[in-house]
Amino acid sequence: MRHRARGTLRVRRTSRRVAAACVLALVTGCDLSGPTFPADPDGTLERVRADQVLRAGAAPNPGWVEVDDGRPTGREVRLVEEYAESLDVEVQWTVGTEEHLVGLLEEGRLDLAVGGLTDQNPWVEKVALTRPYVEVTVGGTTEAHVVMLRMGENALLTSLERWLDEHGELP
Amino acid sequence: MTARFGNTELAAKESAAFTKAVRLEVVTFAFMVTAVLAVMLAMGSSQAMKAAWIEDMLALIPPAAFLVGARRARKRPTPGHPYGFHRSVAVGHLVSAVALLTMGLFLVEDSAMSLLRAEHPPIGTVQLFGQTFWAGWLMIAVMVYTGVPPFFLGRMKLPLAEQLHDKVLYADADMQKADWMTAAGTIVGVLFIGMGWWWGDAAAALLIAASILRDGARNLRFATSGLMDERARTYDDKQPHPLTQRVDERLRQLPWVTDSRSRIRDQGHVFHVEAFVCPAPDEEPTLDRLEEAVAAVRELDWKLDDVVVMPVRDLSDTVPDPTA
Repeated sequence: MRHRARGTLRVRRTSRRVAAACVLALVTGCDLSGPTFPADPDGTLERVRADQVLRAGAAPNPGWVEVDDGRPTGREVRLVEEYAESLDVEVQWTVGTEEHLVGLLEEGRLDLAVGGLTDQNPWVEKVALTRPYVEVTVGGTTEAHVVMLRMGENALLTSLERWLDEHGELP
Repeated sequence: MTARFGNTELAAKESAAFTKAVRLEVVTFAFMVTAVLAVMLAMGSSQAMKAAWIEDMLALIPPAAFLVGARRARKRPTPGHPYGFHRSVAVGHLVSAVALLTMGLFLVEDSAMSLLRAEHPPIGTVQLFGQTFWAGWLMIAVMVYTGVPPFFLGRMKLPLAEQLHDKVLYADADMQKADWMTAAGTIVGVLFIGMGWWWGDAAAALLIAASILRDGARNLRFATSGLMDERARTYDDKQPHPLTQRVDERLRQLPWVTDSRSRIRDQGHVFHVEAFVCPAPDEEPTLDRLEEAVAAVRELDWKLDDVVVMPVRDLSDTVPDPTA
């Protein structure tokens, strides 16, 4: 009986601690980050806004990202530039292979990258992917296209996804 | 209709408790199936979320073990199973303990590795019913759904586990504690992620995993030692069962008995008692006296149903002295 009472007490204490942590989390979450919830662990979106530079990667992929004389063009490149415009910032492009860009994203030297990637791409363990912003049918199968971001920068991810919801179906 | 464990008829009170326990476990099983589906649909990249899903799958095991074990335990002894089928409870306890331990191990490994690798979980937005919102809120809603019922179900099972002396029920209550604690941990973890504290999710999961691992190890230890015929312990394994003392005390009260030692093992719900009694020098251990001794022990508690009393000249060769 004595043992059981102690057990219940411990459970009660734990649940109180959990409840306290929840409240603390909510309160400080609102206080510290205000409008940016979820926040970026590395403050990417804030930095993009402050420096007015979005560091984007482009991997050539016919129909989505083309490279002309070292300058990236194409549908997804336009998409990123329009998103940057909505934030009132410039895009600083890095052209490379998918693998190279994934490496740069992992090191935090890029903020996002495009390259005609679908939600079936193999980099999902290393980078964050947006929700598919457009679906195209290629040879009978539907491909859902996504943008890669640095892992865990959830303010940027959320902001980009919301923007893509409105503007993803660009020509 | 009164329930029974083998040859042991349950009194109305225990019978009602048993019916209630079966009903609770059916509800638990059905609920956990819906929880697994809900978490699967809402599963994002949160470590704790993935952990919660695997843990919900494992949480199906104890209620299943209880329902299967309780069916078996009701069967009367047969020539092939002369002790009856009570040990199905011990098997269910072992299975549930392994499930709990596996869950603890998995969670510890999983959350420790994401801490070490400094994984930053990405949680973006979801679109649901035409609304776009942060996926973390959906995860929190699912965790509230999967966490609140176990909190109450587990608490409702504990008194029944004591009354029926059912250790599967007890292990399952531990499992449900693990369930609601992981749900609470996930909610905290997701909020941490929202605030940009990437480590909060894995750290919260690790803390809870440690407590689950401890419960699992404890249940495993007592489930195995119970199967190895350890002296019967209480339903929560916290101490030797008081009946193990009361049997000898009762037998020593008989006028023709000078001393008694017994070995009492937990068959699951009921105990198996072998008592050795030393008759006084001039007293004959007649058949009537022995039957009276068995009846006296059986009157102590419904769990003491399978009782053997054996008269011996000397106790020293029978059972180790419990006071030594």
